[in-house]
Amino acid sequence: MSFAIDGAHPHDVGTILDHEGIAVRAGHHCAQPVMDRFGVPATTRASFGLHSDYDDVDTLVSGIKLVQEIFG
Amino acid sequence: MSDLRELYQEVILDHGKNPRNFGPLPEANREAHGHNPLCGDKIALHVVLDGDLVQDVKFEGAGCAISMASASLMTTILKGKTEAEARALFEQFHDLLTSNEEASLDQLEALDKLAVFSGVRDYPLRVKCATLGWHTLNAALDETGETVVTE
Repeated sequence: MSFAIDGAHPHDVGTILDHEGIAVRAGHHCAQPVMDRFGVPATTRASFGLHSDYDDVDTLVSGIKLVQEIFG
Repeated sequence: MSDLRELYQEVILDHGKNPRNFGPLPEANREAHGHNPLCGDKIALHVVLDGDLVQDVKFEGAGCAISMASASLMTTILKGKTEAEARALFEQFHDLLTSNEEASLDQLEALDKLAVFSGVRDYPLRVKCATLGWHTLNAALDETGETVVTE
C-alpha cells in the first residue's frame, strides 16, 4: 500500500517509522513514470508479511500520527 | 522520540518548510545540479563568485526536509566566505555527519548553525540527504558542468 502524507517527504516518513519499529519502503519504487503521473516526488509503501500482526498495524498508525505531529 | 527530535530539530523543520535563498539568481556565474536518484531529491545551485569570494548563492529544487534544510542553511552561511573556506566548511560538516565520535565543542562552534545536523550521524542513510547541497556546491566551484549524483 503506497501512500503520501501532506507536508512530509517519504524519506522523512521512512526514517520516523523505522525509528518506531516499522520498516517501510520509501522512494520511487523503480516506477518514476507513476510518480510523475500522480505528481508526487516519491511515496511511502507499507507491505504485509507473514509475520505481520494487528500490533504492527497499530504501530504503523501511531507512527503516521507521530509524523504528522513532527511535520504538522 | 527524543533522538528523533535530535534529528528533526525545529531549525531543520523550519528551513525544510521555508527554505531561505530559494529561487533563481540570474547574475550567477557558477551553476551546478545535484540529484539523488533513489530519493528523487533534486537541487540546482546558483553562485555569484567574485574572484575568490562567494558573493551570493541561491538554490532551487525539491526533496526531503533534511536535504532542503541543509541546502537552505548552507546558503545562509556561505555568503562572504572564500572558496577555500567554503570547501573546508564542507569537510568539517561531513566529519560531523560521519565521524564515529561525538563532535567536540570547538568543532560545533566552528560549524555554527550547521551544528543542528549533528543528529544525522545516527542515521547513516540520511547523510546523502544532508550533503547533497554541499556536493553540488563543490561541483559549482569546480565548474565540472556535470550533475552530481549522490548514490
